[in-house]
Amino acid sequence: MITISHYLAVGAVLFTLGLIGFLTRRNLIVMFLSAEMMLQGVAINFVAFSRHHGNMHGQVFTLFIIAVAACEAGIALALFLSLYRKKRTLDVSVWQDLREAGIDETTDAQPLTTTPEDADPILTKAGIAPKRPLEETNV
Amino acid sequence: MFPIAATLERLTADLTRDLSLFIPELILCGTIPFLLLLRLLFSTKTIPLAPVALAAVGTALVFALRTDLPTHGGTVTFGGMLLIDRFGLSVRVALLAYLLLAIPLGVLTKIPDREDAADFFTLMIGATIGLMLMTSARHLLMVFIAVEMASVPSYALAGFLKGRRPSSEAALKYVVFGAAASGTMLYGISLVAGTFGTGDMEEIAGQISYSRTQISLSAFAGVLLIFGGILFKLSAVPFHFWCPDVFTGAAAEVGAFLSVASKAASLALAARLIYYLGGTGVSHTNALAVLWAIIAGVTMTWGNLAAFGQTNVKRMLAYSTIAHAGLMMMTLTVFDYRAVPPLVYYIASYLCMNLGAFAVVAFVRNQTGSEELDTFDGLAKRSPVLALSMTVFMLSLLGLPPLAGFAAKFQVFAHLFENAHRYQHGEIGVFSWLYTGLLALAAINTALSAGYYLGVVRRMFLDTGEEAKAPLSVPFGGRVILSVLVGGVIALGGWWNPLTEQGIMAAKSFQHKSAKQKRLEMSQEQ
Repeated sequence: MITISHYLAVGAVLFTLGLIGFLTRRNLIVMFLSAEMMLQGVAINFVAFSRHHGNMHGQVFTLFIIAVAACEAGIALALFLSLYRKKRTLDVSVWQDLREAGIDETTDAQPLTTTPEDADPILTKAGIAPKRPLEETNV
Repeated sequence: MFPIAATLERLTADLTRDLSLFIPELILCGTIPFLLLLRLLFSTKTIPLAPVALAAVGTALVFALRTDLPTHGGTVTFGGMLLIDRFGLSVRVALLAYLLLAIPLGVLTKIPDREDAADFFTLMIGATIGLMLMTSARHLLMVFIAVEMASVPSYALAGFLKGRRPSSEAALKYVVFGAAASGTMLYGISLVAGTFGTGDMEEIAGQISYSRTQISLSAFAGVLLIFGGILFKLSAVPFHFWCPDVFTGAAAEVGAFLSVASKAASLALAARLIYYLGGTGVSHTNALAVLWAIIAGVTMTWGNLAAFGQTNVKRMLAYSTIAHAGLMMMTLTVFDYRAVPPLVYYIASYLCMNLGAFAVVAFVRNQTGSEELDTFDGLAKRSPVLALSMTVFMLSLLGLPPLAGFAAKFQVFAHLFENAHRYQHGEIGVFSWLYTGLLALAAINTALSAGYYLGVVRRMFLDTGEEAKAPLSVPFGGRVILSVLVGGVIALGGWWNPLTEQGIMAAKSFQHKSAKQKRLEMSQEQ
């Protein structure tokens, strides 16, 4: 017999795995994936509670969680892409310029290995390049 | 299980009234696609977007001021999702007033250029809608959605200085910590909503006070996790580490938004959560109060100690924000309606002085390209206007008498003192000790903070530097904004009555407990 506590246990395990992954991983995408996994644990909780109480509240919560998670993923992945373009690595430890004065940079004993990649593909140009006059920055 | 016809009919019947109370948010919602369409359809040269955004915010502010509300309690709207009351309304007005000042400031300091002005205003207005929903949330689902609606545009704002590495790093740190914090908060919401079988906070409060003795351990854990999420938004101590880094990397204008608007709405939400989930006279109330007081005290002390020895002015202001958040949190230790007037007063004063300080930083940055503290050396000679207004803001942040900061701090101290006295003879004597301790800590901290606030003033007036530097000019609009803010700081410091009366009006939102008590009586009868 599968009771509500079984579902809650799965939810708790997913949430904890996500939290541990978030705290220990160094790859930006995997870190964010772990944070999203925390949300999935919560979604399981809500659906289980919804079934338990026999109302739709939990289902509604879950729908909103999925929508919000998509928004967050959208903005985070766009940011990661622009960060990757700057440093050519997804290692989070290269981003520590902002820190308390007088504290040294944390260095990894085992740096994240990254496979050297080709440069971004350059698309063949088509049509006439639009004229974009340089403007002073003003509104 | 599903809404029946009668429920739907009630919802439709209330819809007109609900929408009329929601007009300010609706106007802002409409402004966002309107701005984006304007940029799409017309050249931004022919139609400047800032006046459009300003006009929309101004209209929203007028509608917010004209909202018709009952004096006691509030109006429950949208099937129990939102509670529009005077407390929420006063914070919403403060948020709109902030936007009204921040949009022209952004234009004058040239943060958005012609191309992305629409993005900047859209993000600011979008985040403000989220913040406004936070102030009036009454359902746990609304709490979550509002927090996310405020956070997601803030992430983008933190990284708004495209191409600047520190700005990208700030956005990265904010996004990653923010995602984890919202996950944690959501887990708390799932536990609380699951245990009580509903997300409606009024009902949860009823069930908590009905239980009288103790809520289940899982629900208590859920409440703690929810407060963890709020503490992240407030940058309180165990979750404060993102704040200095994000403030250093992001533009000063964005820092002002995160420190003023975001803090104000988070405090309003924290007040509501403590009011509903804290319970009264239940065993976990005391535990929550002690925990909250400790966090508030540590936050204030930590912020003030860490602000010493900072070399970057935005980083220093970030720690000062943390310290002020701690002081504002102290008023909420045991939440009742008496905490509202000092809180509202503090939010309004903080709006003027902190936005002013960040505005000066932005003007100095535009001319010198530096945000280090030593840029301020000898500023009095280079630009008397900037130096004088910065002095007013710094002294107000410190809390010196004729200024707004003093009035706000005095009311918080008076609130703490009054509570220390009030609980002395009650059954819960520990609260008296708690409040006495907080009062002493707040006093010591105010003395401590003099070190770095006065340090800035000393730099501007006494340290002239070796060589004479070129004078700095402030645009005319900048002078207007600075004088409005300085005027606000002085006015709020001199005339306490108008705003205090507003605060007392706002406090009446919490003075009736009829719904809670009715529910309690109902459940006892059954």
